[in-house]
Amino acid sequence: MPYDVTIDRLPIFSLFDLKGPTDDLANWAADLPDFPQVANTRTQGNGVDLCFIGPNRWLLCADIKSEDTLITALRPAEAPPEISIVRVSDTLAFFRITGPDAAQVMSIGCPLDLHQNAFGTDAVSYTEFFGLKALVMRCDGGFDCAVEQSFGNMIADYLSRAMA
Amino acid sequence: MMNIPCPFCGPRNEAEFAFGGPVKPDRPDPNMVSEEEWAAYLTQVPNPLGPVQERWWHVKGCGTWLTIWRDTRTHDIVVRPADAS
Repeated sequence: MPYDVTIDRLPIFSLFDLKGPTDDLANWAADLPDFPQVANTRTQGNGVDLCFIGPNRWLLCADIKSEDTLITALRPAEAPPEISIVRVSDTLAFFRITGPDAAQVMSIGCPLDLHQNAFGTDAVSYTEFFGLKALVMRCDGGFDCAVEQSFGNMIADYLSRAMA
Repeated sequence: MMNIPCPFCGPRNEAEFAFGGPVKPDRPDPNMVSEEEWAAYLTQVPNPLGPVQERWWHVKGCGTWLTIWRDTRTHDIVVRPADAS
């Protein structure tokens, strides 16, 4: 019986990889939302998601239309040596898996415990997805999953086979 | 399948990690040890029957390198043995 899910490949987002001490990053980029304090969670504000994805490492996600605005605000080329800001917008392919069976489809390729109690609304984490490193987060009615751009077509194929 | 405790992410599936090998003893001064001891340091890998200290890389997760003690008989992650050097 096929799974009751909808799988959409999302357009690219504006993504920035931020590294460095929290205080230094917060001082450099004042317009960002508050930096999340709990590992593998995200905060939202000003149309921007700030994901705490590793020690002293964050991923900033926003609509692609705001990329020029963010570059102006973040000034990656002028960042001090204590921090690193790198635009990585074209490196990830995003998929949105929604529907009543979204967790079932995710569980085929992802070992993470995605139950609401363990992986809440603000949760975001790098994990494994069909053997690849992938960024997984919750969205309305399901999950968003991002893999390296060059594997996008392969994951689309895997997901279509998983749904069959 | 092991559930490896990442200091940043918490317990995660072994599939997210890459094995970094056993922790080797401190590098001796090659001028202060015999040739046999130096050759042993270069070529012998710790492989005890019981707890062994290992490095793991959370390569598909947060990227943290971590050190655990694993019992080679059971694959259980154990606490540091009291007699460990």
